Amino acid sequence: MSAKDRETANVGAGLWKGLGMWAWVLFRVSGLILVGYLFVHVWVISQGRAGAETLDDLFDFFHNPVLVFLELMLVAAVLYHALNGVRIVLMDLGIGIRQHKTVFWACMLVAAVTLAVFTWQAFPYIF
Amino acid sequence: MRQEVLARNAGGMWPWLGQRVTAVLVMVTIMVHLVLTHLFASIPLTFDDIGDRLASGAVLVNDVVLLFAVLFHGLNGVRMVVLDWGLSGSGRRVFDGVLWLVGIAASIYGIWALWVWVS
Repeated sequence: MSAKDRETANVGAGLWKGLGMWAWVLFRVSGLILVGYLFVHVWVISQGRAGAETLDDLFDFFHNPVLVFLELMLVAAVLYHALNGVRIVLMDLGIGIRQHKTVFWACMLVAAVTLAVFTWQAFPYIF
Repeated sequence: MRQEVLARNAGGMWPWLGQRVTAVLVMVTIMVHLVLTHLFASIPLTFDDIGDRLASGAVLVNDVVLLFAVLFHGLNGVRMVVLDWGLSGSGRRVFDGVLWLVGIAASIYGIWALWVWVS
């Protein structure tokens, strides 16, 4: 199916619009960012093979306001992806399909509260 | 056409199921991982601090399960994105093979990285 057909089909099925569309777009974008980070993360941790000092130097380098802030954004990406994922798994189980918008905002509330805890922790190292 | 769009398992039943199973595994293990490394770890993080945590068998199992599950989930996610843009036939089989190779190599590399604290 070409991109054009796919788009038309999505519109026909009532999927390619509104909140559901943006939830999906953000889900994909956050997913791709997280895959990228995953490989960087495994590489960073693997520097422990070069010795404790090499890894600790890296951790010291990461310990600056800009990178702590980016790390917090990463936590936000994880929380969004995880909580929207909860909604998708629930929908696959047939739960909350008609109330998907309510379920979405309930999930986002959980994500926001959790992010607030991590922000509280990161705050002193950003400002 | 409507049917095709709504079928989330267009990439195959096993990848679809695998994505859900790993999703649940990752949700649980990443929560443990993030709470331990962000809320209960030394700041900044250190080599020794990681060693202290991995000395616990439960944490080690958690992180290894997370490594395998998140690699499958991430690479299968990339596959879903690429398949949506349209990839079929032999190209798709080659791409699947590449993803498996990347996943297996990264799993081995990840275990090798953690081995410093285990041995």
